Amino acid sequence: MNQPYAIELCSVRKAFRFFTLDDVSLVLEPGQVMGFVGPNGAGKSTTIRLMMGLLAPDAGEVRVLGHAMPEYQARAKRDIGFVSDQMQLFPHATIGWHMNFVASIYPQWDAGYAAKLIKRFNLRPEQNVQTLSHGEHVKAVLMLALARRPRLLILDEPTSGFDPVARQEVLTEFMDVLRDEDRSILFSSHNTVDVERISDRIAFIDRGRLVDCSDKEDFLERWRRIELQVPTGSSPPDLPDVVSRATDGQFVTLTTNRFSEQALAPLGSAVRAVQRMSLEEIFVATVFHHREALGQ
Amino acid sequence: MNALTRRLISKDLYLQRGLIGIAIVAGLASLVIAAEGRMRFNIGMLGWITTVIAFGIMVTMFGVVNERKERSQLFVLSLPLSHGDYVRTKMLALLACYIPAWIVLSGGAVALLLVMPNLPDGMVPYAVLLCVYMLASFAVVLCGALHINSEGGMTALIVVTNMCVSLFIFMTFAVPGIAKHFQGATPVWNSAFWTVLAIELLVFALAIILPYLVAARRRDLH
Repeated sequence: MNQPYAIELCSVRKAFRFFTLDDVSLVLEPGQVMGFVGPNGAGKSTTIRLMMGLLAPDAGEVRVLGHAMPEYQARAKRDIGFVSDQMQLFPHATIGWHMNFVASIYPQWDAGYAAKLIKRFNLRPEQNVQTLSHGEHVKAVLMLALARRPRLLILDEPTSGFDPVARQEVLTEFMDVLRDEDRSILFSSHNTVDVERISDRIAFIDRGRLVDCSDKEDFLERWRRIELQVPTGSSPPDLPDVVSRATDGQFVTLTTNRFSEQALAPLGSAVRAVQRMSLEEIFVATVFHHREALGQ
Repeated sequence: MNALTRRLISKDLYLQRGLIGIAIVAGLASLVIAAEGRMRFNIGMLGWITTVIAFGIMVTMFGVVNERKERSQLFVLSLPLSHGDYVRTKMLALLACYIPAWIVLSGGAVALLLVMPNLPDGMVPYAVLLCVYMLASFAVVLCGALHINSEGGMTALIVVTNMCVSLFIFMTFAVPGIAKHFQGATPVWNSAFWTVLAIELLVFALAIILPYLVAARRRDLH
């Protein structure tokens, strides 16, 4: 029997007074790590809340680990570890109390792994939650989610507000988690460096719409910045799938999202350089291209 | 009751244990003061009423409003339960926090009236009505907290329910069947008493049932 998708969103719509998430469709396969990238207010957290069953879609369908959401959220959440930078533990209880509390709910709780994470994150079970810094707090939430050994991890801006060392610790832990090929991760962030490091699939969201979704390697392979030098007075050569064009005297910079060597051939000696783009550059170009297309 | 519900009720009892302890100690201390003569009786009973009401409000504020405001609710809702399960469990958990202390403090107040030689036992039915009123008032505040998301709305509800305590005291005294026997040597359990008690229990029942019918059926958590 085929394993169900870890996450499946089909034409999902959710409208609020000043914001609408519209026609969002995406799929996360078992074992995949998806980076969910968007600027602030793009709809990342709303989409994640729909996945967690905290919101019901106005239209469309949300299924997580094969369960329809929000109807069967209780069943689905047995196998989901959810971490959000907005999530708070109980301030007047210790980390150890939280560990016992979560362990009593999840039979698959791995006490040995929890102890290892506590040590790696430099936390102490007897620490009261209200004495934790922001970074320590998120690490504690992460430890509680990871040690229950979930099939799906949903991480909403988990590294937001982290210093570089804490970010490195947490990302290293994610890399360890990824060794389990059956575990899927959805990682939301506006930090493309983090996303680029751990994801094998990436979805961009902007102003409530999914603007692109593809494998990371596919993104990195098909986006290029091409620098051309054209004689003064002549118009720059045309190239298909150009998403942006900048001219500075004789120099023209084209950004394409469908790069191929064949398309480049007719440009001949006008080509001065072809540069690969970072995920951040691709993200920014995608967002601006999407907004231009919408006339915004 | 499933295992998760039991864990969540235990969780609230654990987190509110300090408040429950303080309320019981403060309420019983007020009753001790009230037992020291007629003059101190009024001061003690004022302290007792204040303790029982404030305890109910604080249980609700810590258990529902702060949990939502501080986003611990998001942590609870990451556990394998639905929003409906959350509302039902929260209702049971906070009743479990409030009712044992309420029984101790109400029982203490009634016992005090029966034991003190210089106080007429005719006050007992009135005291019972006041205790049940405070239970119903707690249920109304809890019901409101499970439905109202705004801080302003919650503050307004608390102010109104507090004002209603004075209103209840004056209005119950205006009921002839209750006022007439207040100074009597023996408690009178007449139809006036049972009518007021039935109204209080009806309010309590409605406040308990409403979240199951409305808040538990909401599909969006804001």
